[in-house]
Amino acid sequence: MPRVAEPILHVDMDAFYASVEQRDDPQLRGRPVVVGGAGGRGVVAAASYEARRFGIHSAMPMVRARRLCPQLVIVPNRFDRYREVSGAVMEILTSVTPLVEPLSLDEAFLDVGGSVGLFGTPTQIGERLRREVRAQLDLPCSVGIGPTKSVAKLLSGRAKPDGLLRWPADEVVERLAPLPVSELWGAGPKTVERLQGYGLRTIGQVARTDLRTLQRVVGDALGTQLHQLARGIDPRSVTPHEPARSVSAEETFDEDVDDPVVLRREVLRLAEKVGRRLRRAELSGRTVTLKVRFASFETVTRSSTLAAPTDRTHDLVVVAGGLLDGLRLERARVRLIGVGVSNLGDDTAAAQLTLDAADPGTELPWNDPRWDRVDRVADQVAERFGGLGVSYASLLDDHPNDEDTAPTREDRTPPPSTSPEDR
Amino acid sequence: MKLRADRAQFADAVSWATRTVAGRVTLPALSGVLLEAQDGKLTCRATDLEVAAEITIPVSIDRPGRALLPGRLLAQLVARFPQAPVELDGEPDRLQITCGRATFHVRGMQVEDFPTLPVPAEDASSGVLPADAFARLVSQVARAASTDEGRPVLTGVQLHAEGGLLTAAATDSYRLAVRTLDWDQALEGNALVPSRSLQEAAKAAGEVGGSLTIVLEEGQVSFLFGDRRLTTKLIEGTFPNYRALLPDAHETTVVIERTPLVEALQRVAIVALGQANTPVSLTFSDGSVELQATNQEMGDAAEALPADIDGEGLTIAFNPAFLLAGLEATGTERIRIELRDGLKPAVLHPETDDEQTDDLTYLLMPMRVS
Repeated sequence: MPRVAEPILHVDMDAFYASVEQRDDPQLRGRPVVVGGAGGRGVVAAASYEARRFGIHSAMPMVRARRLCPQLVIVPNRFDRYREVSGAVMEILTSVTPLVEPLSLDEAFLDVGGSVGLFGTPTQIGERLRREVRAQLDLPCSVGIGPTKSVAKLLSGRAKPDGLLRWPADEVVERLAPLPVSELWGAGPKTVERLQGYGLRTIGQVARTDLRTLQRVVGDALGTQLHQLARGIDPRSVTPHEPARSVSAEETFDEDVDDPVVLRREVLRLAEKVGRRLRRAELSGRTVTLKVRFASFETVTRSSTLAAPTDRTHDLVVVAGGLLDGLRLERARVRLIGVGVSNLGDDTAAAQLTLDAADPGTELPWNDPRWDRVDRVADQVAERFGGLGVSYASLLDDHPNDEDTAPTREDRTPPPSTSPEDR
Repeated sequence: MKLRADRAQFADAVSWATRTVAGRVTLPALSGVLLEAQDGKLTCRATDLEVAAEITIPVSIDRPGRALLPGRLLAQLVARFPQAPVELDGEPDRLQITCGRATFHVRGMQVEDFPTLPVPAEDASSGVLPADAFARLVSQVARAASTDEGRPVLTGVQLHAEGGLLTAAATDSYRLAVRTLDWDQALEGNALVPSRSLQEAAKAAGEVGGSLTIVLEEGQVSFLFGDRRLTTKLIEGTFPNYRALLPDAHETTVVIERTPLVEALQRVAIVALGQANTPVSLTFSDGSVELQATNQEMGDAAEALPADIDGEGLTIAFNPAFLLAGLEATGTERIRIELRDGLKPAVLHPETDDEQTDDLTYLLMPMRVS
């Protein structure tokens, strides 16, 4: 079988939530529709292409969206429905290859390198998938095809709406060169600003820059990553999710940290990351673990098992933060800190219920559904903008000299107020 | 410092002080026991900055002084001492401990590094309680507190003294235990006491017997019994308004013999406990309760018992460990269970014919079985 030069497909549903709503309710077709909370502080979770013409985009306050388009139709979220439709989409995708890596409800990577014998060229497979999704689910999607994940993802964005794009492997570097650096995966607004500050405006310029120079501008890890991506190199393979045993995240500090405030913030950030991964994988877990490695390399872990599984960031923050307090570090020097959730299960198991007051106005330190809503909005914004969009306020008060200890901080600043292209 | 102490008393004092402040200490000085010999008394102190334990025993002193010795080492030594008086002699940094024919030289730590322990103020408001009543109250309520340090407020027991009543309440968000006691003392107020400290205090009270003095101050509470004192920081934060959690009505009342139910539950739960999160379901109908548990990997178990049922029959599932804790807390031969439906909390009460029964409410949320 011939080796395929562009085996990676990125399939992205067009305005997924809004499209599902328009499909389910014919009256909404052709009209500007947004999905989200209609209340005073509601945010746009998804906007139909009709609505985007008015300048409306995800994560925009509903109040502003309404001002831009008075005839706007606002539909409440139906996540269970989207999840169900997403399952059907993923099923269609797995009909051509088992190598399907879902990124979220509405997008996935496929490696069709082994499928060409059965289903034809990657382009033929892409068209076939678009046809199937349209025929079976009556929904539009866009497909990008390239030699790497980052190129495939870039192309699905440029193919939107309802299109397909492929770049031949040997033309990738050349075609990337004139594009703005903001098209590089992992280049958030702050990184872009920084690169531009050094005169690096196009991907070609980044590709030609010396690696060391680039690392000095944006940090070692990100510098290496951007340098590779700009030259069309992306070693990441498509990895279908296996049932996870635990979900965790940890951070090694460049310099040992003894400041409890910094540790606390890192726990917050890690809990946020773990929570998002749990929710993306539709998992929840009962055991929360905090891992601390001291400057001496002595490592301690503390864990706490809840009676009921959780996927709420807030719960993780509370539990992991409590475990951190319980360690009473007294300014011990910490080299690494990590937060993990294990004892995972899906939601089908028997669930321990929590006590509830007869009067719904009663404040209880548990059972606050607002945190679920916070997580949902944060997840949506993060999905749209590729980084952490909505976050804890305490993670935003960046000190300039913090950037060395947290090189990924750029990805975690709030989204710009204008919509990124093609979204 | 030079002194001579009774072996049993010395061993008791050291082991109590070190045990009460169980080792989750990070500062080296906190791993020590501070010995202070003065005025014919030896005082042993230990703290982890949250709990402070202090115990005083009579000794004969040749030369007063102070020393900070490694707590765990000292506790291990004294536990194995022969039956003979203990003699301590030396300087704070190198103390000779002699007991019978055994001699130890222990390196002390810097006495100055040991933190000053909080001492209850002379004029702080206090109240007295029989030690056994206190121990019982704590054992009934503290089991409902959370062990999850992530939610500090729920790891505490709320003590509330007002209008001749002492109320203790604890909840981990899945169950709630509330116990009220007649208590005619001048002390009034609220204290959210770490459950672990409270259980230590209750244990010591049970051992010492007699009566116990509770001293309530801003940010801390002290328990004094005989020659011992335990002072603990209070948990910051507001305990949930637990009264709002108590259901105002129920549909079904069950009265049942407690011991057979506990034993049946323990048998059936063997199947459930093997696997996390496996409920035991209870079906109440026609004068009987049937307990049932299914474990996909191991098999299933069922057992039926007679019960007095007033109201509609129903099925409800619980975490067996939570239910067992509630049954143990009630303590009477018969118990009363009030139920509404399979998704609403069950309320457990002690059931006796005489008026002397404990005023205890154990509220337990069921599990939803899918």
